[in-house]
Amino acid sequence: MTNNNTPNIPPLWRRLYSVWYRHVRVYTQNIFSNALPPFLEPLLFLAGVGLGLTKYITSTMQGLSYIEFLGTGLLMTSAMFTSSFECTFGTFIRLEFDKVYDGMLAAPITANNLIIGEILWAGSKGFFFSFAVLCILTVFGIISLPHSLFVPLIGFITGVMFATLALLVTSFVKTINHFNFFFTGLLSPMFFFSGVVFPISNLPEKIRPIAEILPLTHSVRLARAICTNRYSVSLAGDFLYILIFIFVVGLLAVGRLRRRLVN
Amino acid sequence: MPENVITIKQLNKSFGKLCAVCDLSFEVEAKTCFGFLGPNGAGKTTVMKMLYGKCLRDRKDGTVVDVLGYDPAEDELAIKSMSGVVQQEDNLDDELNVIQNLLIYANFYGLGKTTAKEQIEYLLDFLELSAKAKSQIRELSGGMKRRLVIARALMNNPKLLILDEPTTGLDPQVRHLIWDKLHQLKKRGTTILLTTHYMEEAFQICDEVLIMHKGKKIMSDTPQELLKQNVEQYVLEVTGSYSASLFESPELAQDVRIEKAEEMTRLYSDDTERLRAFANKLHGAQYYLRQANLEDVFLRATGRGLDDKQ
Repeated sequence: MTNNNTPNIPPLWRRLYSVWYRHVRVYTQNIFSNALPPFLEPLLFLAGVGLGLTKYITSTMQGLSYIEFLGTGLLMTSAMFTSSFECTFGTFIRLEFDKVYDGMLAAPITANNLIIGEILWAGSKGFFFSFAVLCILTVFGIISLPHSLFVPLIGFITGVMFATLALLVTSFVKTINHFNFFFTGLLSPMFFFSGVVFPISNLPEKIRPIAEILPLTHSVRLARAICTNRYSVSLAGDFLYILIFIFVVGLLAVGRLRRRLVN
Repeated sequence: MPENVITIKQLNKSFGKLCAVCDLSFEVEAKTCFGFLGPNGAGKTTVMKMLYGKCLRDRKDGTVVDVLGYDPAEDELAIKSMSGVVQQEDNLDDELNVIQNLLIYANFYGLGKTTAKEQIEYLLDFLELSAKAKSQIRELSGGMKRRLVIARALMNNPKLLILDEPTTGLDPQVRHLIWDKLHQLKKRGTTILLTTHYMEEAFQICDEVLIMHKGKKIMSDTPQELLKQNVEQYVLEVTGSYSASLFESPELAQDVRIEKAEEMTRLYSDDTERLRAFANKLHGAQYYLRQANLEDVFLRATGRGLDDKQ
């Protein structure tokens, strides 16, 4: 121990990394029960749809067979759901029930570091979950490599985007049951109306702008472009939307949640 | 000249209209143990939290908060990197085992792999947890969890250790073990700040005690001085309900202070003989003559009744 008061503060990257590492460590502790479902879920989905539904859907959607269309959408919904669960129920439990954050905030990290570490972790889960879907889609020959290998990066960005939204919701929530409104009221509609199960162009003209507001729409466009290797200039708009969403909602979420951590 | 690790002047914190901490000032000398005593809701925990930036103080002119040379409003990281905090709840990661829990925190303090391993080994040994290194958290007893949280707070060899009710709910063996460890830490130069309800704890390990009530400082001194200045030396406790007239005897008229509750009358005096003589006359009554302790000071200072926050 030294006698003078020179603090030994870990650099920013190290502080964010240690928050992220804590989550990775806890998540991988139950590797079997945590890492298997992301592979099983798309498998079940594709089996159900592929065996039952596709023979009735003969027309192509945006030049893709239905199973291709749906599969490329699932890459993003899995990222959306995992990140949203992590930053609603997961965050709330750490905040209110387990008091894990109280302990962490006694270590040399700020509330902002903690929240951003949380977002990065949710992004990583988005990466992993879309990677799992990618594996299944590849095995079944629905999408082809190597260009599709970039799609987990969009999974990461999507995870980050929904983490900011979920944390903002969490900052308002007083009891854990309130999250049901978020899942049923916002995420489920997004699953159906963001061009995952059918193209947005099939929506009535008046509703279509609403689909453009939904964040998932833009993730799905990017993922589909990567998997099909068909790019257009308008994708820059989708990418920009996501960046702005992350920035704006992220600022709000960090600001509000910080006041719950440090009061 | 003694060096202060903590200097607090006119610290305030209000939640809405409620003044949780009002105009609190105190100083903690390096390498001493400073104790906060107070009923539940007195504001002790809020003070602790304000010291390391978990709680934000009211912005007021004249407020000074200096912890290890830093102000938590500006340099919370500097303070946290040099201190350890043991909170009231055992907020361990249940999914991980003992060593893994500590490794997570070694990472927070930026320790390298080898240093972390050595430090963890040392801390488990220090808190007598080595045998439990690979145990799951749910297999640990309450006392082991508490010791693990303390080990975690010592990860960075802190100059300042803040403990919020470190021994609440623990059995006497663990309590004494923890006191012993705190003594050892103090000897090695760690400054300790703790809150407690246990008067004995304050008496055993604190060099200075601050009694707090409803957000305000009531008194502050060494435990011995608090006793000497604020309460008579002896107490005669008489159990049972007696009429007030019993205690109106002439020998109690002077130098005896009487506190009457429903089922217990306490007579305080510096004159033990006077109390003993009176007790002998109480035929068949249950009584207990003892030395006054810090609890008597505490109850006198904060009142016997409960308020709405307790």
